[in-house]
Amino acid sequence: MLVITCPVCGVEGEEADFHCGGEAHITRPATENPEGISDEAQRDYIYMRKNPKGVHFERWRCDRGCGKWFHACRDTVSMEILGYYGITQKPPATLLKKADPLWQAHFEAQLKKAKS
Amino acid sequence: MSEALIITPLCDREVPANLAISMTEIVDRGMIDLRGLPKDKKFMDAAKAALGVALPTEPRTSAQNGESLCLWMSVDQWLIVCPRKETAALLDKLNKALEGIFSLAVDMSDARSIIRLKGDRVRETLMKGSSIDFTQGGFEPGTVRRMLFGEIAAMVHVVSEEPDVFDLMVFRSYAHHAWDWVEATATKGSEVGFLKPAEAPAVV
Repeated sequence: MLVITCPVCGVEGEEADFHCGGEAHITRPATENPEGISDEAQRDYIYMRKNPKGVHFERWRCDRGCGKWFHACRDTVSMEILGYYGITQKPPATLLKKADPLWQAHFEAQLKKAKS
Repeated sequence: MSEALIITPLCDREVPANLAISMTEIVDRGMIDLRGLPKDKKFMDAAKAALGVALPTEPRTSAQNGESLCLWMSVDQWLIVCPRKETAALLDKLNKALEGIFSLAVDMSDARSIIRLKGDRVRETLMKGSSIDFTQGGFEPGTVRRMLFGEIAAMVHVVSEEPDVFDLMVFRSYAHHAWDWVEATATKGSEVGFLKPAEAPAVV
């Protein structure tokens, strides 16, 4: 069982008091030209998840408290929660360093895409 | 004009006699759902002017002005609980004060039902249905806590302690479930007794 502390309202609760919104930082392919999106990109957006063994980033909602969404960094092996950050934020560098290499690759690819 | 007849969800339920706590439905309260940004000074000032008391910004607290209560629901949401008859006037006052300000005030009087629990066993009864430890600090009078109670979304407002008076608020459609749950878990003889020892059963 996970014991989670909501970073928005500060309430501490067990897993059932919160709702897991799945993997964080999934970006929807651009929608201005739906026909231009490749099947692969759409497949990756809907189905493909990182599912790492180790430090992972997830979205959680304070379901029975303030009702706000936030990001949590969780170790999928030890179930330890390493930190929280805002729902509109990217993971802090300290957490990203600990994360699975899949995540570092994810943000590097995003950065590259933004530059091009 | 005839007076509107208000039918509360639990109006047909009788208060069971064999309970370790006392339980009644509160029927004369109106509720207004108020949303706005606490960072917006204009909003906070306007709400304060209309309600007569500043909205609580500290999580899980409440503020009171006479018979009106402002319960903290979220960082941008409050539940105003006031006498049912004054709800329309207060809502009107709020809407006028908040005109042009990014906010929302809606009459939600029929959305929730309030069950008042009273007695020494209230805390342990609530603990049978939730994951919260009501024996720890942080449940002083005025505290508001939203929670999962008996598998449903609920909210508890600590009205006073010693004797403990807690208002349990649940959505109207779940009122019977909550009532049944409390009835089943607060029956005499089901006391856990870690807060106050249970009375010894009568010797026959």
